[in-house]
Amino acid sequence: MVSEGYGQGSKKASMAVRILLVDDHPVVRQGLRTLLEGRTEWEVAGEASDGLEAVEKVNALHPDVVVLDITMPRMNGIEACRVIKEKKPGVEVLFVTQHDSPQMMREALAAGARGYVVKSNLARDLLEAVEEVSQHRVFTALAHNPNTAN
Amino acid sequence: MKLRILLADDHEIVRKGLVALLQKREGWEICGEASDGREALEMAKQLKPDVVIVDIGMPFLNGLDTTRQLIELDPSFKVIVLTITDSDQVIREALDAGARGFVLKSDAARDLVSAVEAIQSKRMFFTPRVNDLVLQGFLDKGHAVSRNVAPNLPILTAREREVTQLLAEGKSSKEVATLLNLSTKTVETHRSNIMRKLSLHSIRDLVVYAIKNNIIQIQMPPQPSTPTPNGTPQTTVV
Repeated sequence: MVSEGYGQGSKKASMAVRILLVDDHPVVRQGLRTLLEGRTEWEVAGEASDGLEAVEKVNALHPDVVVLDITMPRMNGIEACRVIKEKKPGVEVLFVTQHDSPQMMREALAAGARGYVVKSNLARDLLEAVEEVSQHRVFTALAHNPNTAN
Repeated sequence: MKLRILLADDHEIVRKGLVALLQKREGWEICGEASDGREALEMAKQLKPDVVIVDIGMPFLNGLDTTRQLIELDPSFKVIVLTITDSDQVIREALDAGARGFVLKSDAARDLVSAVEAIQSKRMFFTPRVNDLVLQGFLDKGHAVSRNVAPNLPILTAREREVTQLLAEGKSSKEVATLLNLSTKTVETHRSNIMRKLSLHSIRDLVVYAIKNNIIQIQMPPQPSTPTPNGTPQTTVV
């Protein structure tokens, strides 16, 4: 199990967008956190290291957006997304993955995700993707074809 | 005087995570970030870092060959290899290349600071599995793990390994020539020599060889729990 919210969160406005980070590599979670914490209106509510833990943390932490990796142990991200959307339809899911593949993106959207971006382009796409997904709008971008499904 | 660290990983998100992890330490400085092995070599020449942290699965020049070339360039370079796998072969190649540290990416948040500290103290840092293999090699001299043991790529020159990686990544001879600042004819000659030396007959064979020998790494689609699309494996990382 990985840590839940960090001290800063409680000081943020109650209307802050609450984000759950899910990736099996702590270094990647740290990188995501570094990118996201630049925005004061967003709050990283917690972290999870696999799909099963993500489902548990969604129930416990009530995030607005789940930033979700696909390839993870115990339960992969696609399966976790299905479970999350079934139990908490209002929670938006943004996939962050190394799979730069239209087929995988279609499968992710079919599982209920609102967004899909690839890890190689996160510096370009992540903030815009979270912004859009938190507003319940679709954002998808493959490495060589941004705005694929917009 | 600060310890200067050069980071090389093709994923900016990983570099950001590593920077956040390492710059918490007083007296350590990230002097540069490279997104592939060739850039890492150029930056190392210019910046003369105390420690170079290289991901194995990088485009253009993988981390193992980057390590080899760094040590050839200046044996005083201290290289820590970051890897997603600690298979025997990868361990042997990393040691053979001259790496002084070996850290699994999944454990980087826990181990990387310790690895840099070890290097700073003129020691080496390996995962428990690497230590076991080194010990086993010491006990069983027939399978010693040392820098004198030939890796599984004994017959290709450094340049040929570079060409092999670029061809396996799908680049044409002309593109390889541009990247390596060679003539297309020279690249074609390298290509013929590679195919002959390895007894390969097609680019498909070359890609398989490159994967088997850690020249490129592949990312398989996720294991179900859920159906996966019919995509082919993609080269790379994380």
